[in-house]
Formats: sequence, C-alpha cells, structure tokens
Amino acid sequence: MANQAGLDTSMLEGVKDKIRRGLLPQWAFTDSEIFKAEVKSIFAKTWNFLGHESEIEKPGDYVTRWIVHDPVLLLRDQNGQIQAYLNSCAHRGTKLCTADFGNKKTFTCPYHGWTFNLSGDLIGIIAGNKVYGEEMDRSQWSLRKIPRVESYQGMIFGSLDAHAEPLETFLGDMKWYFDIMLGRSDAGMEVRGVPQKWIINTNWKISADNFGGDPYHTAMSHRSTVELGISPKDPMYASYGHQIVLDNGHGINMVTALGGAKVPPYQGLPEDMWPMFARNLSAEQLEVFENTMIIVGNCFPNLSFVSPMHGTGGPDEPLTSFVNFRVWRPVSPTKIEVTSWFMVDKEAPEAFKEASYLSYIGSFGPSGTLEQDDAEIWTRVAEASQGEMAQDKDIHYNNVLNYLMGLDRVEPDESWPGPGVAYPTCYLDAISRAFYEHWVDQLLATADIPANVR
Amino acid sequence: MTYDDICQFLYTEASLLDTRRYEEWLELLDDSLSYRMPVRVTRDFDEPDDIVNDMTFFDETKRSLTTRVQRFRTTSAWAENPHSRTRHFVSNIVVEPGTSEDEAKVHSYFLIMRSIRDRADVEQMFGERIDIIRRVNNRLQLVERTIYPDQTVLSMLNLSIFI
Ligand code: FES
Ligand SMILES: [Fe+2]
Repeated sequence: MANQAGLDTSMLEGVKDKIRRGLLPQWAFTDSEIFKAEVKSIFAKTWNFLGHESEIEKPGDYVTRWIVHDPVLLLRDQNGQIQAYLNSCAHRGTKLCTADFGNKKTFTCPYHGWTFNLSGDLIGIIAGNKVYGEEMDRSQWSLRKIPRVESYQGMIFGSLDAHAEPLETFLGDMKWYFDIMLGRSDAGMEVRGVPQKWIINTNWKISADNFGGDPYHTAMSHRSTVELGISPKDPMYASYGHQIVLDNGHGINMVTALGGAKVPPYQGLPEDMWPMFARNLSAEQLEVFENTMIIVGNCFPNLSFVSPMHGTGGPDEPLTSFVNFRVWRPVSPTKIEVTSWFMVDKEAPEAFKEASYLSYIGSFGPSGTLEQDDAEIWTRVAEASQGEMAQDKDIHYNNVLNYLMGLDRVEPDESWPGPGVAYPTCYLDAISRAFYEHWVDQLLATADIPANVR
Repeated sequence: MTYDDICQFLYTEASLLDTRRYEEWLELLDDSLSYRMPVRVTRDFDEPDDIVNDMTFFDETKRSLTTRVQRFRTTSAWAENPHSRTRHFVSNIVVEPGTSEDEAKVHSYFLIMRSIRDRADVEQMFGERIDIIRRVNNRLQLVERTIYPDQTVLSMLNLSIFI
C-alpha cells in the first residue's frame, strides 16, 4: 500500500535534502496535503499579485480578483488611494461584487441590502435603526480589508498576513529587474484591455517552474517554431545569457544572442524611447537591457512573466517585444486558473503598441503558438504524477524528478552587473532548485504542520 | 446568395475544420480577412457592454492564420500531436443584408466539443459568431469573423483549434 502518512517535518526535511541534491519527489506536484499546506503556509503569508494601477486609474474604478480561494475587491477610493477588501459582505458573507471590473461609488449586497462605500464603510442598512437600534456600532461592520496592500512599479500586491515583510523587502533584488521591464519609461506601463483568463489542469508549481527556471524546454517544447524557421535551429539558442537566482525563491533569465552577437538594442523598442530608458535606468540596468532578447522568470510563488521578441508571420517578419505577467492561481492540486495581463509602455507609439499586442496574441495566451504546447505538456505532467508510484513517499520506487542540470558544475559569473547570483547560461536548474528550496522552507516554517502526524 | 448557400458554406467550413483540412479552409478566407475573438467579461447590471474589444484570444489576418496552419503541419506542435478531435456545431443562423448585394452579415451560434487523447472529460466552448460573407467570382468567402465566447474564463486549456 502506498504511504498514507500526512506531512511531517522530517518528511519535509527529507524533501529539502533531495532538492539540494537536484532531486524533487514527484508527489510534491499533486499531493493534496501539500496543497493544503501551500495555501496556508505560502499563499496566506506571501505577497500575491492583484493587478496593475492602470486598471483602476480613477476613483471608483474597481476590479475583482482572487488570492487562491479569497475573493478580492480591488479599487481606487475617493481620495485616489488603492484599497483591497475581502469581496464578501460583512453581514452574512455573500460575494458582494460579481462584475469583473467597473466604476462605482457604493456596493450594495443583494442579500439584505447592506451598502458599503469605497472606504469599505457600512453606510446603508435596510430599515437600519428600526431593526438594529442605535446600539449597533456600524463602524464594526465595515468591509474586511486585505491586511496589507502595497505597490511597486505600478504592480499592486496584497498579503493576507498583517505581519508580512514590506513588499519591497519581499521583492528584494527582483526590483532591479522589474525596473527594467516596468520602470524604464517615464509614465510606466499600462494594461491593455483586461487580462485573459483560462483553466489548465495542472499544478501551479509546474507552470511557475517552467517560466522561472526552464529555458531548456524551448528547444523541444517549441520545436514547431524551429521547424517553421521562426526560432533558430541551434538547440542551445535559449541558453545564451544569464540565469539569475534571486532571494526569496525568485528567479529570472536574461537571454541574449550567441556569444554576445548584436541584437536589436532594447528588444527592438522604438529608438525615440531610448533616451527615456537612459533617464530611468542605471548604467548597469541599461547595459543589461540593451543586450537582452528574452526576459523570462518567476516572482515567488506564482507570478510569472515573459518578455520575448516574437513575430506573427514567417521568418521574414520583424520581431516585436511585449511584456506579459500572469498569475497561476491554484484552484486544486491539479487545476490552475491563469490570469494573464498584456502590458506595454504608456508612452510607446501607437503603432508599436499594436504590433506588441499582436506579437503577444500570436505567441502566448491560450491561442499562442508557443503557449498552446506548454499547456498540453503541463497537463501531461500533472496527469502522470497522481498514481501510486509517483505519489509514494518512501523510497519504494525511484520517484524523484531530475533537477540536476548544472549542479556543482556551473560557477556564478562574478562580472554580472546586476544583483543576484548570475550563472553564465540559462540551461540550468539553479532557479528551480532555489524555487523548491524556498518553497519547502516556507512549508517548514509554519506551525500548521504537526510533527509526525500519523 | 441564398440562405441555403450561406448554411452550406458554414457547414462545409465546420466540416473542413473538424477533419483538419486546414489548407482547404484557408481557401475560403478572403485575403483581407479579419478574424477576431474578443474577451467576454461579467459587467454590472448598469454597465451592459460585456465584450472587451481591446483584448482578444485571436486577432488574425489570413497570413497569421496560414502560419498557424503551417505550424500544425510540423512534427512537433504538441498540442495537436496527437491531434484533438472536434465537432463544430453551428446553428441559429440569421442572415442580414450586407453593404452590397454580394455581401451578407451572418449571425450563428457555435458549440465546439473537443476530445483530447484518452481523456474522458470533454473540453467545450460556445458562443456566437458574426461573419461578413462575400461572393467573389461566384464563390463565397469569409471576409470578417468576430467570435464572442460566452465564458469569461475559458475552460479549454488551449486554443490549438479554429472557431
Ligand atoms: S449578506 Fe450582505 S446584506 Fe446580508
Ligand atoms: Fe514554453
């Protein structure tokens, strides 16, 4: 019989030991106890991406989002401040706002009619004083705030943990790279339209790990684009550049061309914008950005991003870059809801904005010629990870997966101008190992897992 | 262009898609084709516009659709290798006059049922399409298609199909 044990610290210590040796037990993907522990120990404690400031520009603008299973109402109040509330009525818990976005001054609950303003105050009760009298203190029945809401470069994050470290501390050295993607232009980025949303039957770690630390998959997963002549034939093409391990489980790959070959500077962004980049970025950031073709990575736990150069036609068509952020929302151990935002520099010329958007639609999102195949393969990983052999927690079977690439073989490049531990190749499992080590550390850090539950 | 001609055109198209005769399907598309699938959203009662045209799942020309077809013909388009099996059910066809005698604006409902590998669960998608169909040299051609999905969160893992 397969192991029936719940999670205990010694088991997780064993997992950590394996991860350090480049091995990940396959049961970690889809185990239901792990999933419960992740929701409590990781997602309820960390900073979760909620949306971009450009989505709620005016007072009263709102969007509805999720932090795993917590519905969130994110809005801009009358004073222009960003607020986030649990999207659940303070009276009896009804989901308060059901629209995806809009603009409102008040939110009225359909159940008994309690009304809340943008500050979350309870400002209207049907038959108020007649039924509750003067004695009920309405200020006790405001909308419940998401305990912490902070922004960096227009990116709004929320944390369910009132004692979470400041967002900027959490992002750490990732800020330096976010500056390149999001802070290079005077007016920052804007979200075009609304995010796309879709469901994939996989585990959130599989997709986060793919974006975070797996440029190696491109040569095979995306070989169709090589066959078409859109991607280079060289199987090492996504390896050139640096894989950078950052603190707190974050990681980023800055992919260049072979041997520092000339690429269009600044991912082909219009030349008129270059002086602006020089204004907003440091000399080191500028140098790195100038030579980078593809930026891809993951902000722990489940905010991934990609900024490649891609075309929509054949090999003769010019390549255009875009910026895409996505949240892999864990719905169950084997299901994620993807929310994917296309972003572009507010000050980019309209023609570039349009080309950039078409480049995104053509390559990423559910219809993207690259992402179509990713989604299929990620479901296959989840599908093949649920059986007795994969789920076995003892060493009956060799049920560990291979994260050995570059372990003790590749040394950091001390000359890298940016922060983090930068390795001189992107075909490397260093980010993945760091991601899973941080992941297991978060699980170990919580008191919610009783020692030796049997 | 009779109602029957238009029904025949849409059913033939559905059959070409379901049998993945994509090169023949491309021949039904006008060179100036615009093929878009905007995002459906849930709006509040007094904000009735529940389509966001600025963001899409497809925003294609005949050229970009041709590239997508060529990709399916490679040996490594894994989403369709092995290929999924689809049925495009097209119904509720309503024809409005177009801007000329040789043009019609056609509304239709679609339901796509999709079977993937050995999975018993069914992927599906449904909604409405608004097409502009034109007669060119005595043949019908699709000039414009706008696909309005009903789901705000697509339940399909990917769109390695055409709609
Ligand atoms: S649950 Fe909202 S008013 Fe009663
Ligand atoms: Fe990929």
